[in-house]
Amino acid sequence: MSSIIQCRGVEKIYRQGDVEVPALRGIDLDIQAGDFATLSGPSGSGKTTLLSLIGGLDRPTGGEISIDGEPISGMPKARLADLRLHKIGFVFQTYSLIPVLSALENVEFILRLLKVPPAERGPRAREVLRQVGLEGLEDRRPSRLSGGQQQRVAVARALASRPAIVLADEPTANLDSQNAEELIALMAELNATSGITFLIATHDSRVIAHTRRHIEMTDGRITADERRGADIAA
Amino acid sequence: MLVALAWRNLWRRPQRTILSLLSIALVSTLLVCVVSFQTAVYGVMKETTLRIFTGYAQLQPLGYADDPGLERTIARPEDLAREATMIDGVTAAAPRVNGFAILANGERSYGAAVVGVDPASEAQISSIGSMIREGRYLAPGDSDAAILGDILARNLGVTVGSKVTVLGSGRDGSVSADVLRVVGIYHSGIPELDRSILEMPLARAQETFAMSGFANTIALGGATLEGVNNAMPALQELARKQGVIVRDWGSMEPAMRDGITLKIATSMMFFLTLVVVVAFIILNTLLMSVLERTREFGMLLAVGMQPHMIGRMVWIELVGLALVGCGAGLAIGGGITLWLQHQGVLIPGMADLLSQFGLPPRLYPALSPLSALIGPGAIFVAILIGGIVPYLRVARLTPALAMRGA
Repeated sequence: MSSIIQCRGVEKIYRQGDVEVPALRGIDLDIQAGDFATLSGPSGSGKTTLLSLIGGLDRPTGGEISIDGEPISGMPKARLADLRLHKIGFVFQTYSLIPVLSALENVEFILRLLKVPPAERGPRAREVLRQVGLEGLEDRRPSRLSGGQQQRVAVARALASRPAIVLADEPTANLDSQNAEELIALMAELNATSGITFLIATHDSRVIAHTRRHIEMTDGRITADERRGADIAA
Repeated sequence: MLVALAWRNLWRRPQRTILSLLSIALVSTLLVCVVSFQTAVYGVMKETTLRIFTGYAQLQPLGYADDPGLERTIARPEDLAREATMIDGVTAAAPRVNGFAILANGERSYGAAVVGVDPASEAQISSIGSMIREGRYLAPGDSDAAILGDILARNLGVTVGSKVTVLGSGRDGSVSADVLRVVGIYHSGIPELDRSILEMPLARAQETFAMSGFANTIALGGATLEGVNNAMPALQELARKQGVIVRDWGSMEPAMRDGITLKIATSMMFFLTLVVVVAFIILNTLLMSVLERTREFGMLLAVGMQPHMIGRMVWIELVGLALVGCGAGLAIGGGITLWLQHQGVLIPGMADLLSQFGLPPRLYPALSPLSALIGPGAIFVAILIGGIVPYLRVARLTPALAMRGA
């Protein structure tokens, strides 16, 4: 099975004045296409940092990260943005939608960036919103949606570009139990039906329980990498 | 997409946007009105002052400007005057003899400029005829008639009907003497003119100063000063052919030209300050808005929006704000100016002061493309140039830092 995400000796050091704070200390990790994996660990363990580096939001201090076989550590900003647009979907802890756009427009926004023809954009965005259970709420702006609904829009937006990977950072952190359960179920279903690779940074035991691979981090190192059940074929 | 998004972003905080728009619109309105008013006032001031005596331009013998002696003459001035009036923009040309003489009345005597004028053509150039306080202006059939300024009349102790003795030297160096009868006393409001000029019929002056068939200058007039200014190239060509020179209003009235230039420069500094202040207010507002949205920009970068696109979106917000504000200012300022252009502006208690500058008591601003656009245009450009700051800030954002709000 091919590695869609490959990390080799990845290090990240933050500087606070003259003090160097190591966030990642030589991470080696392979995520296979179709994986449904969680990264967990206490605060400061480096899971969000690792997710940021994999998503090209930040650059490692050392080591190399490859996405779908392509090294990204030295990639120019514009190409990184292009890579994120075409291959990676993000779901953040806070809902992170564009507040002045409706749910439909938030999803269409990604399709516009992808230069999808106008006639195709509307139906495709509606279909993704339907997939995440937001039919009928397309015209609502984020301020008129619940937290759970907003996070579903974020998932829909992440899926709109038909990415190979979805990176989610604490996606259930701000949701109540019911909304959190529904979101986990939705992501699991999308993973199962479309084969999208999910890598989720989370503390939430309910999320961890749903995934087939669980990676534990402590102090910037991977301390456990547990697989449960069979992976979905890429 | 960016335009729609930028427009909606502007209205996230309607109060802030409205205040920003009001700032731009207010200053734009002010600039349109003030520049239109000032341009018109300077225009009127120039035209009114030049129309009193100097004329909008003059044909003069070579070297006359530096050494205005009687011996520097234009031969057959009537022919040259006729040719000058055939040029577009020039509607009148008045030959003049400019002598200098001692004027005497009884025991009193004063030095003054004695100007021989043709009353018919002079009336088309000079407004002195309309400034007669006592008596009348020169008439075509006059022979020994003279008009003079009220200060000069008072100094000489003459009134209408009095005789004035003129004693000077002629073009050929001979003694020139004449006795003229005062037919009118004028008040131009310009002390220099009112104390130093006596006008007499051209033919008599030519005879008195041994100038038969000659004049010293030809004053030129037109419907507008701008028309005569536009005719300068053709006038210069005519002057070159005739061996004379043409002088525009600025070279004849350097003090007025420099005064106006100084006033315009001072006003421009004030206007520039206004433009810079309003540009800084708007940029500060936009920069605040950019800082508030740093996390959101991080999210946009994370989902794959290119940094320069976000920069462009912010730029478009600025352009939108500037366009609407300047457009509103242009419309309001233009409307007010057009209204005042018909109504006029009457400044209470200023009539006397204005008359000293040759200005009428009611002033009329004049809206022109330049006066309408220069203020709002400067604001627009200043805001756009200043917009580089938020553009660069946004374009340099990195997603991870931006999402942390750094």
